[in-house]
Amino acid sequence: MREKVMGLREAVALIKDGDTVAIGGHTLRRHPMALIHEIIRQGRRGLKLQGWNNGIDMDMLIGAGCVASVETSYIGISAFGLALNFRRACERGGLHVIEHSETTGLDMFRATVMGMSFFPTKTPLGSDLMRTNQHLTEITCPFTGEPFAAVRAARPDVAIIHAHTTDKYGNVQLDAQRWNDQSADVLIGKAARTTVVSVEQIVSDEEIYRNSLLTVLPRKFVTAVVEAPYGAHPCGCDARYDYDLEEVEKYYEASKSEGSFKAYLDATVRGVADHMEYLERIGVERLMRLTRTRVARP
Amino acid sequence: MTTDYTTEELMACAVSRELRDGELGFIGLGTGGRAFIYAVGVPSVAIALAQHRGVDFIAQYGVKLEPRIPEVPDCFTDANLLAWPCRAMILVEDCLDMFRRGMMDWGFVSGAQIDPYGNLNSVCIGDQKQPKVRLVGAIAQTDHCAHARHTMIIVPHERRVFVERVDFISGLGFGDGPGYRERYQHHGGGPGKVVTNLAVLDFHPQTKRMRVQSLHPGVTREQVEANTGFALEFPNPVLVTPAPTPAEVELIRTQIDPRGVWLQAKVS
Repeated sequence: MREKVMGLREAVALIKDGDTVAIGGHTLRRHPMALIHEIIRQGRRGLKLQGWNNGIDMDMLIGAGCVASVETSYIGISAFGLALNFRRACERGGLHVIEHSETTGLDMFRATVMGMSFFPTKTPLGSDLMRTNQHLTEITCPFTGEPFAAVRAARPDVAIIHAHTTDKYGNVQLDAQRWNDQSADVLIGKAARTTVVSVEQIVSDEEIYRNSLLTVLPRKFVTAVVEAPYGAHPCGCDARYDYDLEEVEKYYEASKSEGSFKAYLDATVRGVADHMEYLERIGVERLMRLTRTRVARP
Repeated sequence: MTTDYTTEELMACAVSRELRDGELGFIGLGTGGRAFIYAVGVPSVAIALAQHRGVDFIAQYGVKLEPRIPEVPDCFTDANLLAWPCRAMILVEDCLDMFRRGMMDWGFVSGAQIDPYGNLNSVCIGDQKQPKVRLVGAIAQTDHCAHARHTMIIVPHERRVFVERVDFISGLGFGDGPGYRERYQHHGGGPGKVVTNLAVLDFHPQTKRMRVQSLHPGVTREQVEANTGFALEFPNPVLVTPAPTPAEVELIRTQIDPRGVWLQAKVS
């Protein structure tokens, strides 16, 4: 059987300059940050990003100069407010933004997963999403004559997502204790030509057999898996660890100017050799604190 | 007992009076500060108040259905939100499809701009290609506005929010007036009520323009006009939004929101 375990560097090398890259996660939840850091280290350029609900993931890539366009329904830093690198890039001009609602942002992946070239929906009709998003167009239902919008199917070159576990063959699992906004990750993971999944832990074949109901991406959908514990940091990872508000605040403050953000990236991302060194800089104590706040239902 | 309530308590009571037995309403969770109080806190307390009156109202917070509103965690981290007791956690695609099927009675929404026809904007100020201010994006606002039987729009009453024309329609109201929504045969009815810190507003059934339904106690017509960037129709005589009763205030402070998570955004 084909084994799919790769190192972070090798997996990110599958992404080429100018690729369309779909990113999993939701607000400050389970974005594949270890993979994103490595994309920045490798200096990718001209990426066309896709997602359904994004934040620090896309904002960081934009601030690092990796991005030509974004296609999603949201880029913000949750309770902190606007995503400031994204904001600066838009206001300066030159960053192409393809606007979606949450549903049309999912529909573009759903269409692909269902083997269709478009997905019909009424959601964006009459709004300025129709006017500005070239992947939406008005159609007529052949049965009822009713107007619909067709959402063009997305076929990303690469999808990057972060999950809880996998075996070495790429059968990717999510814990039962998870926030279901992440069901979109499964659609994103199935829609791409190349799917790279970082996980908290690589587990044995037996473990996967024991919990097969938790396998959300069977290996047929998966190109490469990378073990990256705390690989969503500073985002949260369901019940495994919380988001690191201290780090997100530091990020948010740094993103207030181009200069301070470059210094942040140099210190936090570009200046560290790999994910393990990144975690060492965050420190065991802080990582354990994020883990210890897990709340178990009585 | 006439002044012992906050504006947010008044707003929650005003929203609550619109909620009916058997209805379903959708609330998003992703904001902080005042935006949180308006988009999340006020509708949550309104729903809990209605439930205390015996109204069987189902609250849907994204993928989470019927969490126990008074047991909301102090801190909205995922671990806490996962542990917040609820009756169902559904897939996100299912949760959004409930909008599209026309099951949602109320969409509780907010926005950075609203115009006289109830169109909402959370995308940008200025031109979308190179905006003056880039905002977060349409999120689920487009879905609320297209599909909910009505939207309950909860926004701060300010001139920069109430504008003659929104710079980007991310949430469709009545478009440019009568007939606009009908052209697209949207299942949702569009804007129902607008609740602000100054007034309750609704939309004229023929012209589809926003009008004042009632002013909050102590608020003047001039105050509302000074904070609205377009002409509003006022009822004659001008009605006053009913103040919360002492029992409602007591219920909010002791049972529904004793820690101030909802209406004071004491959330970390």
